Amino acid sequence: MTTAHQVGSYVPPVQYEIRVDGHLGARWAAWFDGLAVTSESDGTTVLRGSLVDQAALHGLLQKLRDVGIPLISLRQVPSDNPPEGNRP
Amino acid sequence: MVAAGLPLLESKLHVPRRRRGVVGRARLAQRLDRDALPAVVLVSAPAGFGKTTLLAEWLAGGDETAKRAAWLSLDRRDSDPAVFWSYVVAAVRKVEGDVGAGALGVLQTTPTALEAVVTSLLNDLAALAGDVVLVLDDYHLVESLDVQESMRFLVDHLPQQLHLVVASRADPPWPLAGLRARGRLLEIRASDLRFTSEEAAAYLHEAMGLDLTPADVDTLEARTEGWIAALQLAALSLQGRDDPAAFVAEFAGDDRFVVDYLVDEVLDRQPGEVRTFLLETSILNRLTAPLCVAVTGRSDARTTLQGLERSNLFLVPLDDRRQWYRYHHLFGDVLRARLAGEEPERVVDLHGRARAWFEAAGDRAEALRHAMAAGDFAKAAELVELALPELGKARQDATIRAWLDALPRHMFANRPVLTLGLVGAHMVTGDTAGVEELLDGVERWIDPDRPTGDMVVHDHAALGRLPVQAAMYRAGLALLRGDLAGTVAHGERAAALSAAGDHFGQGAAAALIGLAHWAGGDLQVAERQYAAAIASFERAGFLPDVLACSLGLADIQVAQGRLGAARRTLAAGLDIGTTNGPLRGTPDMHVGLGELHVERNELDAAAERLRASLDLGEHLALRQHGYRWRVLDARLRAARGDHAGALALLAEAERRYDTDYSPKARPVAATTARVRLAAGDVAGAEQWAVDAGIGLDDEPSYLREYELLTFARLLLATGRATDAIALLDRILAAADSGHRGGDAIEALALLAVAHDATGDTPHALAALEEALTRAAAEGFVRVFLDAGAPMHVLLKAAVRRSRAPDQAAAVLAADGAPARMAPQGLVDELSSRELDVLRLLRSDLSGPEIAAELGVSINTVRTHTKNIFMKLGVNSRRAALRRATELGL
Repeated sequence: MTTAHQVGSYVPPVQYEIRVDGHLGARWAAWFDGLAVTSESDGTTVLRGSLVDQAALHGLLQKLRDVGIPLISLRQVPSDNPPEGNRP
Repeated sequence: MVAAGLPLLESKLHVPRRRRGVVGRARLAQRLDRDALPAVVLVSAPAGFGKTTLLAEWLAGGDETAKRAAWLSLDRRDSDPAVFWSYVVAAVRKVEGDVGAGALGVLQTTPTALEAVVTSLLNDLAALAGDVVLVLDDYHLVESLDVQESMRFLVDHLPQQLHLVVASRADPPWPLAGLRARGRLLEIRASDLRFTSEEAAAYLHEAMGLDLTPADVDTLEARTEGWIAALQLAALSLQGRDDPAAFVAEFAGDDRFVVDYLVDEVLDRQPGEVRTFLLETSILNRLTAPLCVAVTGRSDARTTLQGLERSNLFLVPLDDRRQWYRYHHLFGDVLRARLAGEEPERVVDLHGRARAWFEAAGDRAEALRHAMAAGDFAKAAELVELALPELGKARQDATIRAWLDALPRHMFANRPVLTLGLVGAHMVTGDTAGVEELLDGVERWIDPDRPTGDMVVHDHAALGRLPVQAAMYRAGLALLRGDLAGTVAHGERAAALSAAGDHFGQGAAAALIGLAHWAGGDLQVAERQYAAAIASFERAGFLPDVLACSLGLADIQVAQGRLGAARRTLAAGLDIGTTNGPLRGTPDMHVGLGELHVERNELDAAAERLRASLDLGEHLALRQHGYRWRVLDARLRAARGDHAGALALLAEAERRYDTDYSPKARPVAATTARVRLAAGDVAGAEQWAVDAGIGLDDEPSYLREYELLTFARLLLATGRATDAIALLDRILAAADSGHRGGDAIEALALLAVAHDATGDTPHALAALEEALTRAAAEGFVRVFLDAGAPMHVLLKAAVRRSRAPDQAAAVLAADGAPARMAPQGLVDELSSRELDVLRLLRSDLSGPEIAAELGVSINTVRTHTKNIFMKLGVNSRRAALRRATELGL
């Protein structure tokens, strides 16, 4: 819950969509800190979710690297849900 | 063996043995053997591509040098530069025992001086007769910027003898393109490491004993894309199956990520207990039977481990005695992911058991890792608090900072000892943001009226020292801010709070108070405090601190113009340093004594001191040494007329200018300006005055005095004698009132010259007489010799007119003595043998070849090379040849 005096210091976590080559089952979600893991029909897997900052993003990329799954793409996704509260 | 003061893990230096069931990589090993081994070999590929296996095999089957390679398996803790370089040096020393003593020394005294560490190591390597291969495995695990920068420095300065072999999952941030272009890089990448069809077939048939059709082999190879780890998993899944073809077909038709699919297959084929064992122990970085028993609760862990190793299930032995293992990284990661997905609630419990075991075993680092993973932050905080003293002593500051930063902030609120540790970690790096608030929090706990019910403390000895430590940190903070009064106030509070027998605490407080007064120009009080600090440190047995304070005390005494007292101080320090060590700081005592000799124009004695200082080695020196010995050397050369040599040294000294915390009373730039004036480069000196922002109306203060005196010399050199007189009168008044005897003498000497320049002989002689009288008591001579030709005339006049005639005559005698100047412009000439070696260093001959050419042993060549480097004041072959050319050798 944001109040007026918090506005300006609040930085919403960013939503990311990371695509990897090969199917990873949904049970991998726990390993990837609760991101949604979805297998796509083209043989790739998409991990979706919000990461609090760049360090968290790099941590995730390293986990993917450790498992050896090839990275295909990464993009930011505009957040659908703006935070509540007064915003000028 | 210790790394930065803490015991080393031998397993990290252990060369992995070649494993059974592994396909020979002859095709790749040939590339490594083909020509002379290049400077850098990079094996860069994702997990499971057989990097480590390839390197282990190559080394085992290679030539002499390869067989003796230095191996280092890196892990996350090596992100602390002190830890990283300690291990690197340890690895190299296993192979070449003489190397790296200097580097270890620097690591122990100044772990942040990474360039000095690497330089020392490289020098040792460059003096070797033979080659050394250094293997760094899992280089991608090292993440810190400091390590990367120092490694970059290493790569940029690789000596011929060193061959760097790096295995990594990511390309290191080095100038690879440049290395490639110069033919100094050999790369082996994923595409090279993938199994070809032939290799896949050989592996599946011969190594794994499978009977597959060529089509099936091709399918497997295609599906896995030659990824070795995947093929291994597939092979494991196929063993003992009745219908391999069915498996292959199903595998080929599945979309799942290869490793995900195959690990499932492998796990499914294990007996339930083994499967559980694998999942539960996957949380461990390293496994040993008793640890596994504790974590799984199964008493047959040793048998299970051995069984897993025999069936080649991705268990890698870490030593020869089969006591410690680890999972192959890829397999372990997938197991961990499995566990997180299947039994998340067990994970915390498993980490807790591991933590307890490691804690009991005394491995705090691993215990901490598990405590954090279990989210048991209270335990983690306890472990960190107890580890702080030994980590601090080992100067593993980066580790301390990392561990403290990983704890949730709210934990610090009721943990004063832990919070003080955080303060210390900040202060060490000069990061003072927020430190004051932290200290406020800490000191609230010291308030005797405050109930301490909810305070959490594990290190009670540290709690006892808390009030003193907090006051000292506040004093340090004030000093960093330039608040000298605050420094003194807090320092006195710390002294008052320290227990009667706490001589170290009292010494530290006195030193800090002395430093504050010194910086404020209050030399009398500063001298008393430093003397008290020295006495306290001596009683406390902290001898290196005695030396450090002796250097400061001597500087203060020199500023007071008391050369005799300074000599006694340094001589006492030198005695302590030599008798008990040599201790850190001993080279600095020599340099200080050398500086005194220069003031007395005892140039040969000064040169002796310089030599003695350099012989001891930079790793024994304090932070100031790097620039101070060069300034001493420069003054010696300038005194002997070698202005060019002096300026070159001063340029280097300027780059290394670091007075530690002492006041910057003699900036190198001003010394450089003086030498320029002596050399006739007035324009250069004028530029210095502009850069330093010096003006005629500047107020003389302790810190500005040296520069103002330099400016006065410039005024004299440019014919502005009247302006010089006005300035010098003000300087003299200030120096006298501040009891800065040395500066007063210089002001008087320059006044004599200035008055003489305006034709005012009476005032000139009066000033000179005063100067000579004051100088005689302490032996100041150089100040007159450096005042230029007019001074020479004045001194003769002084003799004639009986104005301090004996003193004047003594100075004249010193001036008339022929300066012994080594024709090459060196303090120490190169012997003819050394010149021979130098000549051969210019060629492409290696050490052994030079030895052969000269008909001596390689050790002799090594000794000559070392001496040549020292005499030329360099630390590499390249620099030696450059300097030799400069000197016309």
